[in-house]
Amino acid sequence: MPTTHPRRTLLLLLGGAILTFVVALSFGSASISWLKVIESLRTGATSLDYTVVMELRLPRAASAFVVGGMLALAGVLMQVLLRNPLADPYILGTSGGAAVAALTAMLLGWHSGLVSTAATVGAMFSMALVFFLARGRGDWAVTRLLLTGVVLAAGWGAGISFILAVSPSSHLYGMLFWLMGDFNDAGPGLFRPLLLIASLTGTMVIARNLNLITLGEDRAEALGVHTRAVRIGIYLLASILTAAAVTLAGTIGFVGLVVPHMVRMVIGPNHSSVLPASVLFGGILLVLAETLARTLIAPRMLPVGVITAFVGVPLFLYLLRSGLKRQDP
Amino acid sequence: MNPFLRLICGLAALLSLSFQALATVSVVDDTGQNVTLTAPATRIISLAPNITEILFHIGAGAQVVGVVSYSDFPPEAIKVAGVGTYDQLDIEAILKLQPDLVVGWNSGNSAEDLKTLEELGLTVYRNESKTLEDVASSMQQFAALTGHSTMGNTKSAAFLEGTLSLQKRYQDRKNLRVFYQIWGDPIYTVNGHHLISHLINQCGGTNIFSGLETLAPVVTTESVIERNPEVIVAGVYPGPVPEWFGEWNKWSGIEAVKSDHLYTIDTNHISRMGPRILLGMQAMCEVIDKGREGRH
Repeated sequence: MPTTHPRRTLLLLLGGAILTFVVALSFGSASISWLKVIESLRTGATSLDYTVVMELRLPRAASAFVVGGMLALAGVLMQVLLRNPLADPYILGTSGGAAVAALTAMLLGWHSGLVSTAATVGAMFSMALVFFLARGRGDWAVTRLLLTGVVLAAGWGAGISFILAVSPSSHLYGMLFWLMGDFNDAGPGLFRPLLLIASLTGTMVIARNLNLITLGEDRAEALGVHTRAVRIGIYLLASILTAAAVTLAGTIGFVGLVVPHMVRMVIGPNHSSVLPASVLFGGILLVLAETLARTLIAPRMLPVGVITAFVGVPLFLYLLRSGLKRQDP
Repeated sequence: MNPFLRLICGLAALLSLSFQALATVSVVDDTGQNVTLTAPATRIISLAPNITEILFHIGAGAQVVGVVSYSDFPPEAIKVAGVGTYDQLDIEAILKLQPDLVVGWNSGNSAEDLKTLEELGLTVYRNESKTLEDVASSMQQFAALTGHSTMGNTKSAAFLEGTLSLQKRYQDRKNLRVFYQIWGDPIYTVNGHHLISHLINQCGGTNIFSGLETLAPVVTTESVIERNPEVIVAGVYPGPVPEWFGEWNKWSGIEAVKSDHLYTIDTNHISRMGPRILLGMQAMCEVIDKGREGRH
């Protein structure tokens, strides 16, 4: 079992988050001078450097951090809910529902605000569908939930392929970028950061219950946890977080799957530290990925989802190997 | 059969053969393959919207019996039977129309599909237009295949003359930095190899992203700001101006925004390698020229 001190790791992650923001704001295809930016901040006079940092880089970095945090948190919750290490925020079809709705909106030529609304409606619809189908005659068995969600997700996948196949090529640019996951120059707004903070706080309050459920439902029940209520709560919260992330940035893969595992490898399985650490690390990872996406082949741009896999896969495999070494003497 | 009748039959056969020989057309397509028809084509299938436009332009519209999706110009073309999309041909529909000539788009249609059509016994002409000269020569080639050579030569000459006179008029005027935008989210533009970039040059402008490697790259907002274009031109579909085009207005640091030189042109004109690209070029030259007038 890893022995890293959780508090120290959390402080390190917090420092890391601040550092990645500095990096994200400093790099881009235009070279900017921090002196000018600070001067603008001081005098209130706008300069191009200031606008580039404050209106292009900062909103993107903030969106990336919030989305990364939400996906990582949703990932932790899904893995607890399904007791399955392969669970990620997209496994139960929430993102698929959002994608089908968003792509349909794009196909109909709706403007971006409506595309985002459609995605939200799609995500909520899919979430409700899984919820009611999996509920059956009252029990909420893991297998049934998982199968319902996975099958529905597969259905959405087919829907996505269908829309792509019938869409005119002029619409495909936007659709493919949306599917691969991408940030535009708009910021995260107010709702999403608040949602993230509220969800994190809420789940940390019930961290002990999550720990017990991970160990086994019967045991948790015996120790006084209302597992059914907690699990339904987790399901709804994870779905809402996923929907909020997907509607802002498309389906960015990998973060929600590997960040919780990485964090557990380093910090241990206690959810009172896994939850905040995952949010911070997910945020950091996505801010870095977003910066790389903008700068790697600048002035051209890559979809962020591609980078998260490029960065995430080797990092995850490395941690997995070093974790194994630590476990077997 | 009596000898006299036999002679007449023989003569008739000979005559018809020689007529056929007279009517035979043979051209080399854009991939170097010989395409031979025993008579000018009367049932033609067009496998790209720009090919449809050229066929109608040279007067062969009435001979076109099948077209791919988005063959929406001229309006008569919309009524022609559909044979799938350019990248997913409906081979059965094509066969059923019994064409005597299929004009394919070499880099757009699937090479396999075109080959299948040939194996099924159809005559396929592979077209590829990359430059304005290519469009003009396509006009002549299609005209030869469809029996409209005179018209084809006239149209082709007029087309080339039109582009040259635009070039003569605008190319040597004050050179401006031009940003051409295909799409807003993400921002797609064109590199120096793209025909649109050549048109910008001929209109006396410089494409700010001419140095990139990909034909239609995605670029960042920052890089547009940094290259500071004097004119921003977006190719859009007819209808309301897309909302992404308005996004530029918040960047008053960009020369084009400061002096209000943001324009849209019809993408159906400028991005289709057909006769209407002359209109697209004219629109491009005119909006770049507006950029020379200073603030307005």
